[in-house]
Amino acid sequence: MVTRYGIASVEGMAAGTAVLLAKGASPEEGAPGAGGGMTLDEAFEAEKKKFEAFSREGSGETAGIFAAHLEILEDPMLRETIEGRLADGLSPVDAVRAASDELAAMFAEIDDEYLRARADDVRDICRGLSDRLSGGRSNTLDNLPEDAVIVAEELFPSDTAEMDFGKVRAFVTRKGSVTSHVSIIARSKGIPALLGVDIDGIGTGDRLLVDGNTRQLTVGPDEGAEKAFFAKMKQLAESDEEDVPLRPAGTPVAVFGNAGSLEDITVAIEAGAEGIGLFRTEFVFMNASYFPTEEEQFAIYREAVRRCNGKPLIIRALDIGGDKALPYLNLPPEENPFLGMRGVRLCLKHPEGFRLQVRAILRAGAFGPVRMMIPMVAKEGELEDVLRLVKVCTEELEREGVAHDPTLQVGIMVETPAAVLMAPELARKAAFFSIGTNDLTQYTMAADRGNPGVAPLYNPMDPAVKRAIEMTVVAGREAGIPVGICGEMASTAEGRRVLASLGVDSVSLSSPRQISKLKQK
Amino acid sequence: MKTQKITVLAENGLHARPVGDIVRAVKSYAETTVTLATPAKTVSGASMLGVLSLGLKAGTEVEITANGPQEDQALAAIVRIIETAE
Repeated sequence: MVTRYGIASVEGMAAGTAVLLAKGASPEEGAPGAGGGMTLDEAFEAEKKKFEAFSREGSGETAGIFAAHLEILEDPMLRETIEGRLADGLSPVDAVRAASDELAAMFAEIDDEYLRARADDVRDICRGLSDRLSGGRSNTLDNLPEDAVIVAEELFPSDTAEMDFGKVRAFVTRKGSVTSHVSIIARSKGIPALLGVDIDGIGTGDRLLVDGNTRQLTVGPDEGAEKAFFAKMKQLAESDEEDVPLRPAGTPVAVFGNAGSLEDITVAIEAGAEGIGLFRTEFVFMNASYFPTEEEQFAIYREAVRRCNGKPLIIRALDIGGDKALPYLNLPPEENPFLGMRGVRLCLKHPEGFRLQVRAILRAGAFGPVRMMIPMVAKEGELEDVLRLVKVCTEELEREGVAHDPTLQVGIMVETPAAVLMAPELARKAAFFSIGTNDLTQYTMAADRGNPGVAPLYNPMDPAVKRAIEMTVVAGREAGIPVGICGEMASTAEGRRVLASLGVDSVSLSSPRQISKLKQK
Repeated sequence: MKTQKITVLAENGLHARPVGDIVRAVKSYAETTVTLATPAKTVSGASMLGVLSLGLKAGTEVEITANGPQEDQALAAIVRIIETAE
């Protein structure tokens, strides 16, 4: 029995049989004529049909991914590079691999995050082609056991698009983060995923226990580990059957949804969310090749309001820096990005850009109940600066005669220990608190959530984190402002019970499935 | 054959959107071939991968060459896209 920790995870628990997804057939098997594979033309045609089908059948985001894949597949440079390697005397499979490496390397070298990410697209497409040529891999997915745990170096959109999710119980990958494709798919399918796991030595057929809540993977568990695992799973399932947890006052905790796109809002509201407790605006900025204009932002925020159907929408100010960079902002690399220029610090450093977001949010507020939330606040002065900027922008819009919310509520995320310690003072100026338990845990415990070595320390249920939450709740209650939670701690029934007992007013959840389960009661 | 040199002014270089515009424009002039060249390499204007791989940054000088029945229009269209890219 071996236990390993992932660097990141998608919540949930599953036990099953490992299915190792190879990185394509090995070069030996790919010799010309071997394996009964296709010709290059047939492979291109087959992949084209596949992407067309995925792009047609996929929903919003997935459809877009495959439309872009299609464009690259049909790009003359891809074909030319492959043919160049064929002319060098390589076999078709090796030629595709060589072209893949060459093109991916070319993009990986470019000093630009967006373009670097295209390297993954190229590798995904080339792997599909080489699998067609060699006749390898695809049958791995055709014959899944009923309890498959997919183990791979990394998973690409074309892998997951072909999976039978009636049989897939969990994902375990070496690469990937909570924002990568594999996590998005895992969340939407409601299955756990462990990312950043050392997968060496795991073989197809191995028994695996996947615990997305503790980021723990057990390979070949002994009887005791199996028993403990299923006891915990049963307990979680039973507690999931419970009603929405009650606060000490006897009133239920309100259930909101987290959203990272417009589509997420619709899904959360349809699942029964009482509003959107965290609308991440990073996608607005990351999908653009330049700083989005006020009009562009306004159009998106107004659409977000419309999709909320009159329910409250909390828009978080751009939370960039740290692990998420913006190509066009030219942020210098930092030695400790999580202790560096991020969240409100970055917003206030670029007031001319931040202003556009504030104005767009104020204007969206004319169409429904909108609140603005400020991330990474450590000092009262930061909140004061933001409130001043909001006041200036409100006055401008007033003068310009543009419709807006004249009394926009501005709250803060409580995710630094400094904000917890100063919560009574902050509560007098903030309209609400929203506790980001992920960063609060990381900063309170001084434990990097990406470092498996300290994974046991990174625990939102630690008494120190609970006490920090309680201090924040008490400060909020005394000032008469609502206190919500928008971190992963609220994603388990156990976490929600603890949060309710501490007196939080609302939890904001990422999983639409959980929202509908809680709201059906 | 028509050729023109132009310097990329877009502060953050040419990204997916303008590059996509270039590729679509080039493809719309079916009989005319367009290449883009920097001192480092020359690529087909009809290849998204190729144009992206030039890594066109602010200040880069790029030479556009159009050859075919609609070379004047094609050249003008590409120059305009690069000039107006933000």
